[in-house]
Amino acid sequence: MAERTLSSLVPPVLEVRALSKTYSDGDRSLTVLDNIHLSVAPGETCAIVGPSGSGKTTLLGLCAGLDDATSGSVQLDGETLETLSQDARAALRGRSVGFVFQNFQLIPTLTALENVLVPMELRGESGGFAEAEALLSKVGLGKRLTHYPHQLSGGEQQRVALARAFVRPPRILFADEPTGNLDAITSETLVEMLFALNRENGTALVLVTHDPALAARARRVVRMHAGRIIADERP
Amino acid sequence: MQPLPTSLVRALFHPWAWRMAWRDSRSQRGRLALYAVSIAVGICALTAIHALRASVRQSLDTQTKNLLGTDVLVSSRQPIAQDPLVNLSSLITETGSETAFSSMLSDPSGAHSRLVQVRALEGGFPFGTTVDTVPVGAWQSLQEQHGILLDPALLAEFDVHPGDKLKLGATEFTVLGEVTKGVPRSNRFSGFASEAFIRLKDLPSTGLAGSQSLVFHHLFLELRPGTEAERKAALAEVRKSFSLKGVQIQTPEDRSETFGEGIDKAKEFLSITALTALVLGGIGVAGAIHTHIRRRVPTVAVLLCLGCPASLAFAVYMVQAATLGLMGTVLGAGLGAFAHAALVHFAGNSLPFNVAAMPQPLVILETAGAGFLLCCGFALLPLLRIRDISPTATLNARSEKVPGRSLREAGVYLLLFGLVWSVARLNGANSLRALALTASLGVAFASLTATAFGLMKFTRWIIRPSWPYLLRQGVSNLFRPQNQTLLFLLSLGLGTFLLLTTWFTQSLVLSQLKIDNGPSTPNLYLVDVQPDQTRTVRAVFEAEHLPVLEDAPMVTMRIESVKGLLLSAIEKQPQNASSLPEAKPTQRVPRWVMEREYRSTYRTTLNATETVLAGAWPPTPFVAGAPVPISLEQQLAKDLKVGVGDEIVLDVQGVPLRAVVACVRKVDWSKFNLNFFMVFPPGVLEDAPQFHLLTTRVPSGQTSGALQRTLLRAAPNVSVVDLTSILATVASLLQKAARVIQLLAGFTLAAGLPILAGALLNGRDQRLRESVLLRTLGASEQQVRAIVLVEYAALGALSELAGSLLAVGAQWAAARWIFKTPHAFETGPVLVALAISIGGSVLAGRTLSRSVCSKTPLDVLRQG
Repeated sequence: MAERTLSSLVPPVLEVRALSKTYSDGDRSLTVLDNIHLSVAPGETCAIVGPSGSGKTTLLGLCAGLDDATSGSVQLDGETLETLSQDARAALRGRSVGFVFQNFQLIPTLTALENVLVPMELRGESGGFAEAEALLSKVGLGKRLTHYPHQLSGGEQQRVALARAFVRPPRILFADEPTGNLDAITSETLVEMLFALNRENGTALVLVTHDPALAARARRVVRMHAGRIIADERP
Repeated sequence: MQPLPTSLVRALFHPWAWRMAWRDSRSQRGRLALYAVSIAVGICALTAIHALRASVRQSLDTQTKNLLGTDVLVSSRQPIAQDPLVNLSSLITETGSETAFSSMLSDPSGAHSRLVQVRALEGGFPFGTTVDTVPVGAWQSLQEQHGILLDPALLAEFDVHPGDKLKLGATEFTVLGEVTKGVPRSNRFSGFASEAFIRLKDLPSTGLAGSQSLVFHHLFLELRPGTEAERKAALAEVRKSFSLKGVQIQTPEDRSETFGEGIDKAKEFLSITALTALVLGGIGVAGAIHTHIRRRVPTVAVLLCLGCPASLAFAVYMVQAATLGLMGTVLGAGLGAFAHAALVHFAGNSLPFNVAAMPQPLVILETAGAGFLLCCGFALLPLLRIRDISPTATLNARSEKVPGRSLREAGVYLLLFGLVWSVARLNGANSLRALALTASLGVAFASLTATAFGLMKFTRWIIRPSWPYLLRQGVSNLFRPQNQTLLFLLSLGLGTFLLLTTWFTQSLVLSQLKIDNGPSTPNLYLVDVQPDQTRTVRAVFEAEHLPVLEDAPMVTMRIESVKGLLLSAIEKQPQNASSLPEAKPTQRVPRWVMEREYRSTYRTTLNATETVLAGAWPPTPFVAGAPVPISLEQQLAKDLKVGVGDEIVLDVQGVPLRAVVACVRKVDWSKFNLNFFMVFPPGVLEDAPQFHLLTTRVPSGQTSGALQRTLLRAAPNVSVVDLTSILATVASLLQKAARVIQLLAGFTLAAGLPILAGALLNGRDQRLRESVLLRTLGASEQQVRAIVLVEYAALGALSELAGSLLAVGAQWAAARWIFKTPHAFETGPVLVALAISIGGSVLAGRTLSRSVCSKTPLDVLRQG
């Protein structure tokens, strides 16, 4: 009850209204998202689940400003994405958004430490080595700082991605199948870290997952089917 | 927190862009270096050629005086009256005279003789320069004593030494030594003949002075030192004083200009090869950057997700490309400077003056700068696509697809067009030619693109399920997604096209200079055979069992008027060229056409090297009093702006003769037959002063020597031109020219190799993944290799065929419209290119398949 009250008082970090996405190919068109409404409060954890092709990843991409919606609007950290240029959206992501991807998406030519430093460098912050090293140590990679992604295991790469996402704690973190490429034990460790960082930094967490166990860790579960939200549960 | 730059200019100077560019290159430096080499080769060719031209120009400027040996050279076929010198005495400090002609030089026994250019000199010529002789001081000795100085080759040929005797005409001369350097040639037509120097006052004793019909008289004038304006005024005064018919005046600047034009023309061809090498380098860069960007799509997408503006991401790769280009440019400029020195060393002795490999920092900077810009322009094509990479690529499992073309590329193509045009202009081509050259490259590019798409459709259509799997799989790779067909055709196909075109052009240039040396082609010419000597000469030929291939009477004449307009009236035109009343300003008659002396013949029939283009020959019999029907060579008719039926009045050694053009004919000047600009019918010129030219073909040098010895006794005034020795000189010069051309064409070939390597590397990643999947599914190494080999052999063959087709088309067009020669399809180079292309592709495919098979499937699958 207290959480709901707090949520209603604090402006949401993500507000999605009547969002639709249709792909056209000549005469044919395919609607992958249809009239989606979603609001995520600061610090909230939200899992988006559903079968393959239900539109989860598309919704995530639109919420993060990675793509343009066909109709509807997305408000992210107080900014309406449709009104922003691509560069302004990138700046907003640099300021307020973190990402964790299923296929890790580390920059292959940078070491683990350099990968973590990139968001700080892009913000024009000098130094930051100590923080990045500390964060990598925290995720158990203190001795792999100078390793390149191809020299790390999948779990280690995902931990680097996690450190990169939290090196400057974002207002909201989008995670696309963060454990999709990991084994159960590694997944468990990573999920623990993810939620711990979420708690420590008050970052809202939006997870796209097929994993019921991971979804169950979230305070809220949004179920999707055929481009629509069919349930919004707060267990 | 500082805001990140969103404008490209600011992004390019953002420190992070440079830091990231350096880090991002980590795994690709070896590969990127390969592309820097392709830029380097192009820049090397460009800078070497430009620096060579600048050195030649500078050498010409510093040696202009040495080229002529005098401030003013007055030349005439008639003895030059010295009267004007009285009025010019205040302007002139020194004078000299020369009488030059060709004659036979022989040993005292007459056993050995040789045609030489006799130069009888008087005065201090050459002025302001020293003449090197062996022994030293022999030139001064010649001024003081009766003797002869010779070219080194003549001393060797006669096996004589200073103090020995040689015979010229009726007189024996003591050999004083050899001239090694420093006597400029005053007669441009004496270029091939060895020279012999005597005093002018010794000439009458030879008995040759009066009998020679091809005598050149020269007067050398050294102007009083003064300012540039005073020099110009003095020159104007000299020109005015000697403005007589048949008198030519030349200054060192005129000769420098003549040489310079020759050099510029040679450079124009070489510049095409340099531009070709540079464009190939540019294509190599575009291919390299394209592959690099494809590998970097996920990185760019991640950077965009992390808040990097698109312009900053673009700047990272622009910085890489520019650095790569700069490295290639610096390397290429260095190599170009070295190649320039090597070219001067190699080709310098082919020129009639000394060329020093002077450092050309400005020229190298200018050309290297232009080349660098061109490479950056080519790099922009793939780089622009970075701006279209979407951050959503991070959400896709396979995200290496480079975005498709956008409208922005049209701007880059326009920029490239402008840049190539500018470099072509820098190479010395005029605007229109540069435009044609650039457009040709553009057409080739477009044609190859169209061919690539056509071939993809064709292979899709032709492939059949009944084909063996390995063949089907290999050929299918030509049209499947992520195929390399377009890239291969553009790089290897365009490379083949450019290389073959360079080769074909070289062949066309050399074929124009090719010497016809067949059994019916004369190789010995008898000049100055007087009419009463022809019977004697024919008898000599008969005694030596030699055929008389041709016997042509020759009468000298000048043009007095054309279509009723007197030459004197035409000469009053202010320009350097004259114009006829109805001629447009652009259709002027070259002055030399009007002023020159024509040596014409008369005969009833045309020979085998002539073809009638208009009118008829022989003409219908003419009646007394009517104009004489004559036949004109087509170029002369064109220059005079006359056609069949037009009237020309000729001055036949003081006698006016009305003629009408009855026939315009084409002459194949490449043959060594006797050909003439004007041919008269018999019955008109028989009584005019004339001499005969006879030709024969000698089987050997011994026969030639025997014939010349006999002729020296029977008809001592007759000059024998033994073409076999001249042919050797020409062949040697051509060989040198061909070597320089081939060396430069080699630059183009060298530029093509990194492209081939690059195109193969481009496909490596894609084939690596596919092959690993096939191996995972149970394919053997042999099967994987076979598939790769089939694909690469097909790509090599198709690229070569497309390039060859275009090149043959270009050759046909060049032969028809530029060189105006019949087009001869050369199968040799095409087959060689086909073999190299397929062989190279298969070899590279084999290397690729080996590297593919050397990795375990797990290695690749782990890398994603």
